[in-house]
Amino acid sequence: MTAMIQLSNVSKWYGSFQVLTDCTTQVAKGEVVVVCGPSGSGKSTLIKCVNALEPFQKGTVLVDGISVGDPKTDLPKLRSRVGMVFQHFELFPHLSITENLAIAQMKVLGRSRDEAHERGLKYLDRVGLKAQAAKFPGQLSGGQQQRVAIARALSMDPIAMLFDEPTSALDPEMINEVLDVMTGLAHEGMTMMCVTHEMGFARRVADRVIFMDQGHIVEDCTKEEFFGAPRGERAQQFLSKILQH
Amino acid sequence: MMDFSQIVPALPALADGMVLTLKLLAMSVAGGVVLGTLLALARLSSLPLLSGLAKFYVNYFRSIPLLLVISWFYLVVPLIYTWLTGSFEPVGAFTSCLVAFVMFEAAYFSEIVRAGIQSIPKGQVNAGYALGMRYDQVMRLIVLPQAFRKMTPLLLQQSIILFQDTSLVYAVGLLDFLNAARSKGDIVGLPHEFLIFAGAVYFVISMGATQLVKRLQKRFAV
Ligand SMILES: Nc1ncnc2c1ncn2[C@@H]1O[C@H](COP(=O)(O)OP(=O)(O)O)[C@@H](O)[C@H]1O
Ligand SMILES: [Mg+2]
Repeated sequence: MTAMIQLSNVSKWYGSFQVLTDCTTQVAKGEVVVVCGPSGSGKSTLIKCVNALEPFQKGTVLVDGISVGDPKTDLPKLRSRVGMVFQHFELFPHLSITENLAIAQMKVLGRSRDEAHERGLKYLDRVGLKAQAAKFPGQLSGGQQQRVAIARALSMDPIAMLFDEPTSALDPEMINEVLDVMTGLAHEGMTMMCVTHEMGFARRVADRVIFMDQGHIVEDCTKEEFFGAPRGERAQQFLSKILQH
Repeated sequence: MMDFSQIVPALPALADGMVLTLKLLAMSVAGGVVLGTLLALARLSSLPLLSGLAKFYVNYFRSIPLLLVISWFYLVVPLIYTWLTGSFEPVGAFTSCLVAFVMFEAAYFSEIVRAGIQSIPKGQVNAGYALGMRYDQVMRLIVLPQAFRKMTPLLLQQSIILFQDTSLVYAVGLLDFLNAARSKGDIVGLPHEFLIFAGAVYFVISMGATQLVKRLQKRFAV
């Protein structure tokens, strides 16, 4: 199996504080990997290293064979091929839903307005929100905004998708509509790296689960192994805590 | 007894003065916002030299009186023009004043723009980068449009102050509205009437604009 995303011995510091220590893992093409762990353990930082939203000081990150940390790498181009979905959606509030979907297609990929709108609408339809095309982000519910954000990322034809706690800012009744879209994507073979505490989602669709604690990857195993008998004490504590909910 | 009747025949000359005032205002605001935005971006840059230079510029122009800048540029702009172009064609007082206002106001506008840029959440910037945008695209397409919306009331407020400050061009003999009113009043021997009238006009325009800003503030606050 070829790795779509390969992290090797990645370390990162904020000043003297080490956020990531020697993180090594990979996501194969078509694989779905769930990253979990306590708050502050470095999950967001790790996933942002994949598309260079965060620089790192040691180690290497390869995306589709391209080194993210290499100063010669065309980062905007690399990022345009990796979709990212954020905890707080980050739709552009001054643009309509249609414009949100089209802007990067036009300005980054150089697609024509018509083509960008057509593709945007196609993915908007896919997440069940075609009727909202003319609205602005502030007029949609959180769950709807997050589905638009997923459609926006998909309309760039990404080779992989990164999710950073896509449902943790949502009201409980909206979580499933977003997870359903993500599940559909996973079943279609999208390569996905998802930071999430939705263990039901992990059980259903993940191939592997990574558990992080204090900047270390402390578990990295198949979901069967992870949910069967996580080896470390920290992972067990974490699991029993969140499964209580 | 005050005699305001003589203002009527002077209205065309006063209108010419108002045109100059408004032209200077509009061009200064446009130039000041553009230069101020560039200064704000430089100030927020991660390059220490660039942000240091911008900081020095802003602090410098905020520490000296506008009247000084106007007088100084009146002397210096023609010299620089000659030095740059080799031509001795005289530079008008209007151009000198415009350059002075743009450079002076840019310092104030840049602080407003900087606060506006900083008020846009980091997540918006990250979302732009994650979609493959370059720095200039993130700024132009995502950050600045949102920042300017938030800043509009403050920018207008600063423009109202500048509207009043344009009267300082009397120092270099430009016939703006106030200077036109004063010289007309002196000629017809009714200086008080003309100055009272000028004051009323400044008051009405500034108050009207301030009310507009208040309304905008309410609308943008939602
Ligand atoms: N810009 C920053 N400067 C300093 N420390 C930071 C910064 N961003 C995050 N951190 C710290 O890094 C650690 C990991 O953060 P993060 O990756 O956001 O964790 P998680 O996503 O797992 O909650 C936390 O302790 C956080 O306080
Ligand atoms: Mg996080």
